[in-house]
Amino acid sequence: MNDHTGKRAGPQVVHQLIEVMGTVVTVDLFCSAGVGSSEAAVPLAKARAILQRADSLFSTWKNNSPMSRLRRGEISVADAPPEMVEVLERCAEAREISGGWFDPWAMPGGVDPTGYVKGWAAQRAIGAFAAMAIDGALVNAAGDIASFGGPAGERNFRVGIADPLAPHQLACVVDLAGALATSGAYERGAHLINPHTGLPSALMASASVSGPDLGLADALATAVAVGGVDALARLESIDGYEALGITFDGSRLLTSGFVLQPVPELR
Amino acid sequence: MLATVAGLVGVLSFHTKPSSISLGSLPGASSSSRSTTTTTPPTQPTSSNPATAGAPPSTTTSAVPSTTRTATGAQVNYNFGVLSVTVTASGKKITNIGIASLDDGGNGRSQAIDQQSIPMLEQQAMQAQSANIQGVSGASYTSAGFAQSLQSALSKLGL
Repeated sequence: MNDHTGKRAGPQVVHQLIEVMGTVVTVDLFCSAGVGSSEAAVPLAKARAILQRADSLFSTWKNNSPMSRLRRGEISVADAPPEMVEVLERCAEAREISGGWFDPWAMPGGVDPTGYVKGWAAQRAIGAFAAMAIDGALVNAAGDIASFGGPAGERNFRVGIADPLAPHQLACVVDLAGALATSGAYERGAHLINPHTGLPSALMASASVSGPDLGLADALATAVAVGGVDALARLESIDGYEALGITFDGSRLLTSGFVLQPVPELR
Repeated sequence: MLATVAGLVGVLSFHTKPSSISLGSLPGASSSSRSTTTTTPPTQPTSSNPATAGAPPSTTTSAVPSTTRTATGAQVNYNFGVLSVTVTASGKKITNIGIASLDDGGNGRSQAIDQQSIPMLEQQAMQAQSANIQGVSGASYTSAGFAQSLQSALSKLGL
């Protein structure tokens, strides 16, 4: 807010867009003195490679990706690359934890871990910056955010959650403690499938889940968007993960540890 | 702060008709004593693939003049057509974000989506700056195009 005076230079931010997985992943590195884009070059290349590898393995759009081949039954899980085995194991855990509201095996067209992979890949990518001497890092994969640290002098980053009912506004602002994922059917291209019926369906306009790991947060956000109160209630017993659901009438349902910050007016 | 405004845009889904929001009442919008405009003609992408169209990946760091100036980002492909974003900044503060050009093929569905989404993107980018936040979480099907063109405009402004 005071930055337009130019008197208080903010932290030096190294910013990069990485186009991958049919979207844009943004990376923001909040650098301490003496660290800048030259120090960031190698970690950024590593993060890019991690995301591109995830894309090449898991794309359900690329006909010859291992994921597509698995879906067609041309390879078995035993033949799959180790990352796919890992992801499918984590998906099975997420299915269990969510009471079946997140279920890649119930998707039309065969097993589809897409709801987990984007968050998982971004979480892996942010690891590329862990050894840098920086104040914090944000990796934002089309609305699903992995982070550590914060801007200079801050304990954490602060982010907005888009209002699914009034897209011009933020529904709320939260202090990030690690990862934050949001799922919903309010954007074009989002088709949330109810695993119990196989049909497109969502009980929440949007659902956001915070926690240490973006892959699981991503899966659980999908679960809460599809499963509503039932899915949200299950998160109370999951250590470190909190949820906010916004219903189609605008009501907000929160797990007990989800803390909202006031939304400043746009003026 | 500004570099992160570009960052959050990667998150947002958009699409639209040419439009821009008026922010004359924002602090910073009228704080500059002179204006310079440095609009660069957009270049037409040669590829229809959003993954390869537009500018190569850029890394930017902040260090900024204090005048009011405007830049237009590269024209890039997005899901429904081709667009470019224009940004006006005063010092380090973005005072306006708008669409400089848009060709969505003119079909009804594209236009309907565009009219709904682009104002949303613009306003969220502005609000993020106002709210002093570093990103937006949302269930968006991202438009690579808006983020690409915006980033390219911000780079031209040194933001």
